[in-house]
Amino acid sequence: MAVQPELEKKGFAQTVLDAADDVFTRITAGIPAGEVRRMLRGEAPGRPNPRLKPHSEAFLLHIKPTYYHESVTRFTHTFRLGLLSTYLFFVETITGLILMIWYAPTPERAYTDMIRLLSNVPFGQLMRDLHRLGAELMVLIVTAHMVRTYLTGSYKAPRQFTWFTGVILLVVTLFLSFSGYLLPWDQLAFWAVTIGTSMAEAVPPKVVGETVNLLARGAPDIGANGLMRFYLLHVLFLPLVLFLFFFVHYYKVVHFGISLPSDEEEIGQDTANKVPADRRVYFLPDVMIDEATFLIGFTALMVVITAFFFSAPLESIANPQSTPLHTVAPWYFYWLQGLLKIADKTIAGVILPGVLLVLLIAIPYLDRNPSRRGRDRRVAIISGVVAGIVMIILSWMGTPYYAVQGAPPVEIVQELMPEEGMGPVREIGYAHLPIGKYDTRENPVTEDEEFNHILHEFEASIAAFEEKDPSFNQAYGVLSVTQEQPSLKRITWEIFWISPEGVQDKFVRTFFLHENSLYWEQYGLKDFSFVRPPAQE
Amino acid sequence: MKRPWYSFLYVRSPLVKIGLGIAAVMLSIAVLLFLGVIEDRRMAAQTANWDGRAIEKGAEIYTNNCYTCHGPDGKGLPGVAPALHSKYFFTQRLKDVGWTGSLHDYIASTVAAGRPSKVKSQWAQMMPTWSQRFGGPLRDDQINNVTAFVLNWEKDALLQGTPDNPDPWQPFDDAPSKAVAEDGSAPVAETPVESTGPRSPQELFAGANGMGCSGCHNLDLPQTADSRGPVGPNMANLYETAGTRVPGEDAATYIHNSIVAPNAYVSEGYMAGIMPQNFAERMTEEEINALVQWLLDPNRQR
Repeated sequence: MAVQPELEKKGFAQTVLDAADDVFTRITAGIPAGEVRRMLRGEAPGRPNPRLKPHSEAFLLHIKPTYYHESVTRFTHTFRLGLLSTYLFFVETITGLILMIWYAPTPERAYTDMIRLLSNVPFGQLMRDLHRLGAELMVLIVTAHMVRTYLTGSYKAPRQFTWFTGVILLVVTLFLSFSGYLLPWDQLAFWAVTIGTSMAEAVPPKVVGETVNLLARGAPDIGANGLMRFYLLHVLFLPLVLFLFFFVHYYKVVHFGISLPSDEEEIGQDTANKVPADRRVYFLPDVMIDEATFLIGFTALMVVITAFFFSAPLESIANPQSTPLHTVAPWYFYWLQGLLKIADKTIAGVILPGVLLVLLIAIPYLDRNPSRRGRDRRVAIISGVVAGIVMIILSWMGTPYYAVQGAPPVEIVQELMPEEGMGPVREIGYAHLPIGKYDTRENPVTEDEEFNHILHEFEASIAAFEEKDPSFNQAYGVLSVTQEQPSLKRITWEIFWISPEGVQDKFVRTFFLHENSLYWEQYGLKDFSFVRPPAQE
Repeated sequence: MKRPWYSFLYVRSPLVKIGLGIAAVMLSIAVLLFLGVIEDRRMAAQTANWDGRAIEKGAEIYTNNCYTCHGPDGKGLPGVAPALHSKYFFTQRLKDVGWTGSLHDYIASTVAAGRPSKVKSQWAQMMPTWSQRFGGPLRDDQINNVTAFVLNWEKDALLQGTPDNPDPWQPFDDAPSKAVAEDGSAPVAETPVESTGPRSPQELFAGANGMGCSGCHNLDLPQTADSRGPVGPNMANLYETAGTRVPGEDAATYIHNSIVAPNAYVSEGYMAGIMPQNFAERMTEEEINALVQWLLDPNRQR
């Protein structure tokens, strides 16, 4: 308080410097500027370690351990997957909050809000793409985190409960991703969620299943109520559940310590918390710099991927009257869709996933082997790998390539010009569709190379189906492109074939394509052609 | 302790890590700056994209619902439904009916709520209500799409009346046209096409200067209990049924009377007053007779 005597004693400059250092120390919750400099130079701390102070002073740091065992800070021990999952939840919260500003969860507005976000909000598309990419990465990384924990045997005593909360977090992550799926209110969203909630209907007994389905959808079919419920699940309920279980999970991680590499401790021992003084790596500064750099680098990677290689899909507005061909679940539910193709809805959609979940939770109690070393755990590791391979096969069976082929002409047209999404014809676009009538029997050739390629594919696809399908004989196709309006072309696909009864049969499908329409794929280099618009004549 | 063979990949120096972090931040900023620079063009492209997709969807709806009356190219069918793809519609129609809103609103509300009155209308059928709000099949977004599709004719329609595009000026009768030509006089009325001899039955039935019969009567489907024309009876089996309708009238007389005096006998299940009653004035007797013969021909040529 007494400024005057202090000034007299220390001089003006020293007093100001001391005051500045004081402010700095308050901001860093206990570390003076000189100590920061010593940290950056890599000098050892003094004793008692002044770098421990923020762990007791600062709220956000008090949940972090003050030091780690050197072996667990190696990147290849944990791959930082847990940290990354947490960080992605943070990214999803931030981008999600920004998206909420332009979104109203009603069927009248949701889809137009998406269009407005894409076409009228600066960086709106980036935010949406980031949110979607973050969601898919989060599922991927949470799963990878679980696989890593399984392979290193880290679920074993005393970490059974940590594993349990982890399984809950995985399930919540999947539900979060899935509930967000409905919000754009497009065909993709509507039908994926219709199929998803219809599995709830299969819960036995019937009255329970119907009630669950009704509670989820808010009506017998998804509509305004269902959208509102999924929205609230997505932005409020599930994040809160995730938040709660995250802290339980993380508390347990800190409490027991990250399990050491298995060959660094005796079988049956758990010495993660007994770190010898010479193996300690302090959070400040080493681990903090490491984690911060890792997350910043990861963020940069996400920004680059989102900017150039990833576009969240947006199909036509949800139409309860028409199911698009080949409706698929998001990729992380392909395995479930595969199961549904080979078994009854109650078994594949409810009982098997339920059993799987219980098995997953019970793993630490079923596996009585005390050793965490790979060579002692052959049964566990082989069964884990087999389970992984089964999941991959089931996922492949969940894609439209397996067992849902429609009639040949439908598939031929779907391949070239799908009902939703891009396909090769929309990819070459309006400018490369010359007006005319092209009959595959005449092997037409135009001046447009890209269009010739489409015609060739059309021909080849018809020939391939003719060979494969005995009821599809002497087939040929006619593709006509006409000018419907200024800037609008009509594309008519006609396929003729002789059925086994010897009758001529015909399939017709008409599409329209506008000059300015842009269609895109979810993964792949983005189209930046708009940067240089074509010269106007 | 053992070090794995890939341990040389570990970055150990904190300064190198900080340097990498700063490089990553710079990279992100560079990417965001690039996106910021092209953001206006991206938004413009997206706006055009969604407008284009609305027109695509509108085209599908038009093809499924509207073209039977308003014609495949939107130029209407005489006596059935007005031309939308016309200069009159884009330049004068709003003034004639005294609509103060935009043409988009006029089209959207007409599609949604229909045209319930037939007062002084030259059209055979009333515009139905298409909106789900008024008992029709279309959602609001679909009405907007089909409106976008109709509005997309504007560029072409405004060129009408030039030598390249000789489509006529086509006012509606329900509102007296207040259009004024450039010199202040009333606009040139639609000049009837100079007749160069009798028109063919095909032209009368479905041609651009015909009577618009094809808007309500389908020539390819038979008129049976399972296959009824929604507005007027189907005509694929007319040669079989025409003679059986009115006792004492043979097929040719029945058809002839049905054309010149449609309300004298109305087929069961259809309303009187739908079919225009001025065909006797709009066609010569010779043309009507040819049309009757053509309609009764089982192998009629299209």
